[in-house]
Amino acid sequence: MKNKLTYLLLVVLVSLSSCTDDFEQLNTNPYQITDESLKQNFNHIGAFFPSLLKPIIGHQTHHNLINDSYVRHFATPTPFVGGVNNTTYYIRWNDNYWNTLYNNIMAPSKQVIEIAEADGYEMFVEWANLIRVVVASRATAFYGPLIYSNYGKTPAMYDSEQELHTTFFAQLDKIVSTFSAKTSYTGFKDFDASYGGSIPHWIKLANSLRLQLAVRISKVNPTLAKQQAEKAFKDPGGLITTNADNFNISLYGSPMQEVTISFSWGDTRMSASMESILGGYDDPRAGKFWDPATDTTLPADASFPYKGIRNGALLAAKGDRQSFSHVSSDFKTATERKVLDAAEVHLCLAEGVLRGWDITGTAEAHYKMGVKESFAYWGAGGADAYLANSTGLPTNYDDPKESGAVNDFTTRITNTVAWDDAATNEIKLEKIITQKWIASFTNSVESWVDHRRTGYPKLPYNYKNDSSTSPFGTVADDDFLRRHPFPNKENNNNPTGVADAITKLSNGKNEIGTRLWWDTGVESNF
Amino acid sequence: MKQKIKQTLMATCFLLSGVIFAQVKTVNGTVTDSDGVPLPGASIVLVETNEGATTDFDGNYSISAQEGATVEFSYVGYENQQVVIGEGSTINVTLVQGNALSEVVVTSFGIRREEKTLAYSTQTVKSDQLTQARDISVANSLNGRAAGVEIRKSSSGAGGSTKIVLRGNKSLTGNSAPLIVIDGVPMVNNVGGQPGMWGGIDEGDGLSQVNPDDVESITILKGANASILYGSQGANGVIVITTKSGEEGATKVSFNSGVTFESVNALPELQYDYGRVGAASESWSPTKNASAANGEFVDEFFQTGVNYVNSVSVSGGNKTTTAYFSYYNTSSSGIMDNFGYKKNNLSFKQSTKLFGDKITLSSNIILTDEKTDNRGPSGYYLNPLVGLYTFPRNESWNAIKTYQVFNAGTNVMDQNWLGINNHFQSNPYWLMNNQPKEDKVQRAIGSLNLAYQISEKLSLKARASYDFSNKSYEQQHAAGSNATNTGNNGRWDYKKFNDELFYSDAILTFQDNYGDFSLNAIAGASLQQTTFGSGVSVSTGNDGLLFYANEFNFQNIPTNTQVQSTLGSQIEKQAVFGNVVVGYKDAIFLDISGRNDYASTLAGTGNDSYFYPSVGASFVLSQLMELPSQISFLKLRVSSANVGNEVPYNRINPTNTINAAGGVNRNTQTPFTTLKPEMIETSEFGFDLRLFNNKLGLDVAYYDITSTDQFLSLAAPSGSGYTSYFVNAGKIVNSGIEITITNSIIDTANFKWNSTLNITNNTNEIVEIHPDIANLGTGASEGFGSRFEVGGSIGDFYTSMYKRDSQGRIEMASGVPLKTADAVLAGNAEPDVSLGWANNFNIGENLSVGFIINAKFGGKVFSQTESMLDGNGVSLRSGQARDAGGLTVNAVQGGAAVTSANPELWFKAIGDRNGIGEPYIYDRTNIRLSQMSVAYNLDPGSIGLPVDSATISLIGNNLIYSAEAPFDPELAMATGRNSQGLDNFNLPSTRTIGMNLRLTF
Repeated sequence: MKNKLTYLLLVVLVSLSSCTDDFEQLNTNPYQITDESLKQNFNHIGAFFPSLLKPIIGHQTHHNLINDSYVRHFATPTPFVGGVNNTTYYIRWNDNYWNTLYNNIMAPSKQVIEIAEADGYEMFVEWANLIRVVVASRATAFYGPLIYSNYGKTPAMYDSEQELHTTFFAQLDKIVSTFSAKTSYTGFKDFDASYGGSIPHWIKLANSLRLQLAVRISKVNPTLAKQQAEKAFKDPGGLITTNADNFNISLYGSPMQEVTISFSWGDTRMSASMESILGGYDDPRAGKFWDPATDTTLPADASFPYKGIRNGALLAAKGDRQSFSHVSSDFKTATERKVLDAAEVHLCLAEGVLRGWDITGTAEAHYKMGVKESFAYWGAGGADAYLANSTGLPTNYDDPKESGAVNDFTTRITNTVAWDDAATNEIKLEKIITQKWIASFTNSVESWVDHRRTGYPKLPYNYKNDSSTSPFGTVADDDFLRRHPFPNKENNNNPTGVADAITKLSNGKNEIGTRLWWDTGVESNF
Repeated sequence: MKQKIKQTLMATCFLLSGVIFAQVKTVNGTVTDSDGVPLPGASIVLVETNEGATTDFDGNYSISAQEGATVEFSYVGYENQQVVIGEGSTINVTLVQGNALSEVVVTSFGIRREEKTLAYSTQTVKSDQLTQARDISVANSLNGRAAGVEIRKSSSGAGGSTKIVLRGNKSLTGNSAPLIVIDGVPMVNNVGGQPGMWGGIDEGDGLSQVNPDDVESITILKGANASILYGSQGANGVIVITTKSGEEGATKVSFNSGVTFESVNALPELQYDYGRVGAASESWSPTKNASAANGEFVDEFFQTGVNYVNSVSVSGGNKTTTAYFSYYNTSSSGIMDNFGYKKNNLSFKQSTKLFGDKITLSSNIILTDEKTDNRGPSGYYLNPLVGLYTFPRNESWNAIKTYQVFNAGTNVMDQNWLGINNHFQSNPYWLMNNQPKEDKVQRAIGSLNLAYQISEKLSLKARASYDFSNKSYEQQHAAGSNATNTGNNGRWDYKKFNDELFYSDAILTFQDNYGDFSLNAIAGASLQQTTFGSGVSVSTGNDGLLFYANEFNFQNIPTNTQVQSTLGSQIEKQAVFGNVVVGYKDAIFLDISGRNDYASTLAGTGNDSYFYPSVGASFVLSQLMELPSQISFLKLRVSSANVGNEVPYNRINPTNTINAAGGVNRNTQTPFTTLKPEMIETSEFGFDLRLFNNKLGLDVAYYDITSTDQFLSLAAPSGSGYTSYFVNAGKIVNSGIEITITNSIIDTANFKWNSTLNITNNTNEIVEIHPDIANLGTGASEGFGSRFEVGGSIGDFYTSMYKRDSQGRIEMASGVPLKTADAVLAGNAEPDVSLGWANNFNIGENLSVGFIINAKFGGKVFSQTESMLDGNGVSLRSGQARDAGGLTVNAVQGGAAVTSANPELWFKAIGDRNGIGEPYIYDRTNIRLSQMSVAYNLDPGSIGLPVDSATISLIGNNLIYSAEAPFDPELAMATGRNSQGLDNFNLPSTRTIGMNLRLTF
């Protein structure tokens, strides 16, 4: 009896230890989707693209409190962190767009590219590369050097900005040549909410991006800029020259970020600079950008019922300026947002003509086309009258919630909208960049670049500047923040790389006052 | 004639019973000491079967046994006595005080072992102690009752979760929670979601579903040495719950009815004189309000909660079958309006002997239904206390009691909140009424046990149990709720899931004696399958626009919201294990155990099968050598064990996830196919000393626990090609001393004072983390950050401090104090020394008084609440500073000393969300009268009640405490790993006072 039971127990034990075969399956989450499953209907590459496209434009601490504030599109009524934060040049939020680049784009696209290469999908490889260039060219505008060509290697050394832009141009060459050879390829269709899988449109984006980057480096490397801009202009695939060709990204069912930040969180409002420039130029786009102030006593002029907040303002309580202008309620129904549009392309071409690049058309014609495309994009009328306005000037700003000169400013802009062919290139460029600034509303990264590169538009300085207490260097009271420091985590994770990257900065300092490569510090733009 | 018939019938009955129950009968008797004083709680164990019983208050026992069976009687501090059952059915035993300690302890798998054979320390808490103060939480009842046990209750109110840690935090990533075992079988004790700095609501745990009145005893196996047979799950220690069983004999009914009243114990000190300026949400007016119409509305906001506890149990049985049935009902109304906690428990347990008592078949079913409405939240968001405490003092509190106003423009009710747009603040009454939260748990635990006495020396036990819970958590946020969290048409947070655990084991036990040597060996195998969190969840967030306002169901889910299938984990573990105890002269015991685990979470690594051993020894010196006569008993014990710990589910090969946009998010975690189990090495030694005829006992244990190969998830460097990677790394050492002093201070016929003092000290050191990282953050937000650093301890937290000059003066600029650039170590949330002092007095025959004093010495806590109250200008300090025309400070600005500062500038700089942490760090040290009970046995006969006994008691919990901190430092915001020592608008501490009536008949 005893033996029998011992035997039985042994059998049980042996059978137990031999039934671990299903362990691997058990340890797999059934609600995740495997590469194997994705091969059905050939989704195993394309299905990842919506997740690569969606994060191109981020949220509150990617843009709204960062470049949208530095470039004075939006201003916050909220005194975040005791009123000492990025908007007052004390860096609190620094890693967000960095994380977009590395966590949302580089890491997944690396694997996607590997799968696509292995399976011979070269179109998808280049599509992923194009998204990488879009995001990395934006990220470098924040930080300068980036880990890019050494991505995935140890140690992960940074590319200098020169190297980065050279790499971008080379990648665009490859993308355009690959796409141009297969313009009727339909493989992107199911995954492309931007262009519905139309390859000719992606070529236009690649060319327009090349133009944008050429303009960006026009002061620091005029030769390369001219060469690249002309290549972009002359490519048979063409540029984004009408709004129908704009590169937009779908919101994939989410509300537009600015709607959430403004209406749900009450953390953003019209900027005082928008009030000054749109109001002074009597800009019909104002009503497309903004809702009238909910407190109708705030606007000084009844014909311009909007009220903005100064950037870098002294703010006592969040509640004080809630009644200022929200972003337009029309945005609540938005389903997509722009990343690169016809207005920007025309205004880039206008600058190119001023710089003597071999581009068809006059600067004036491109300037006017740019403004008109912008009006059309926003659905505003009266572009011709607006373009003819040779008297209107941006207004001075008075903060109705503060007495005395607190948060007030006097505009530094003395230039009008109307084109003046007799004016200097500098005056013409100021007009072009100012219009670029208005047109780039909701997509201000490149306007932040333009502002640092050219000094235009002549925006007001911060009223409150906390950079002197910041560990990342100071910004003079009559200057602007020039870049973001590298994320702190790089000091731990990649000390060799980040130390080398700092030497690649113009002054060798990882500070907010350090000028990036294309921000030459030379006041004259010609 | 009548008489004859009766006699014949009786004889027939006896004959029949003789046929059916040939060898079984009930043996009754009384166990007394040599003075004839009854010994309550003495153990009676059938040596052959290990079945047992205990004596009642009068020393009476009853046990069913075979004729010829050996019964062993034992009582702490008395010599064991074995009696072979003869023909009679009454065996009265007189135990002699002696040197041997023969108490039987329930160990792993419900195996009962004599305490003297154990090579590790355990502590047992009996039911009368657990239920003395009628706390509805079993876990809280353990507080102060045992050394080495750290208990921290959630601040969220009745039915909330409890953090239990035995011998220190051992894991960098987990929560070091012990395994809960009920009647030998693991029980699910999943702790639900926990709040953090930003908000959230405690979602309870599994232990709260146990009926405290069903518990016979709780034994705490503190270290891995004790729990090795449970394997990895027991690595953090085991809480062994033994439930009551039916007893042979007349049916006993026990009935308890109690009511307690819960009231606020401590509130922040607030000012009510200075209101706000303009539309501000802060109360920073420099001048006093014209009228103080509001009074102290914060006090008035809280109500006295009423808790009702009613329970009934029926126990009885005959020689072959015993049964136990109980029903328990509790309800609690809490200190905030709209809170409601209701729990119903139903248990049924039976045991039947078959085939000539060779086989015992028993089963147990426990059913629980638990429902909580509007459990108290913590943190900033969706917390009524935020709006309550910071309410602008010049506004009318009565006005906002009308919490909603009709909006003719939308035909929807809007929130009435002073026009304040603050992402933290909502109208408290709106929150409570229009954003209701409901948590429901329905649970069934069923088990079947089979014990087979194969021969005198060999027995087999096999059992299976199934623990199933269905849990749902739902919060419906009405349209008009704070827009930071809620969409225009409202918001719906809903999840419903099952937790399942299937467990089975088979254990073969062999015992024999060979001359001076004894052998006790077990071999077994177990299988455990768990599926946790299997269900569905949806949250529309603040971006998800419900199609129609205030409709909360799946039909109304917007297209941008994903309804998710959820699965927390599914894990299978198999194990074989064995244990051999060799005894020599009943005085030296050598204990060797080993276990091999097979874990599905390590599949594919080649490490899914892993073995670990333990070895220990105990020496009953008082039995081995002649000791001074004052020493009644002395035992030394030493043991060492290794335990492997499985890693979390689905870490080896996670794949991709479908996102709300219909695309797929690529998994970017570095593959980890070399994953190993975590290892815990522990050694302990100690002694158990009893003096003066066992009147004074001293038990000391020292332990050292080293945890290595911790499973860590690290953020991958940005340039690495991945976003995260996993490593086996880190080393944590816990060492500590546990001291238990038991003292029968006064022991006379009319007055007895028994006292137990538990003292615990644990030191935790993080020796290594991982070379790639300087520290491991476990959540930093606002001014409070907790992180692990090499050389630090688990529980360390960091805040910014005042910037000071060489004279210690606070440096200022522009009227504002400056802070250190970096957050520095502010302290550790764990105490240096914990102390629990339990006392029991028996006065005369019928009156008994018990109380527990708990104390913690050392440790720090942090109050973000106080920081917020200062920043908002509602703290009493901020009012007093304005009364005084300035705040007295010892500061320096521009080289000049500053003695008075502008209160608004100062408090806004140090307070609010991210100010200067230093002034808000408090000592955790506290001492409290945590339990008190006065019980009186009524004489049922004299009051004419048809009952056997009636006891009425007055009870109180958490009666008085003294602490430096402005909140109760023993209440936890979260009972997981994070946010330890943090208070951010936690529900205030409460005291409960009430009474209970217990009847048995």
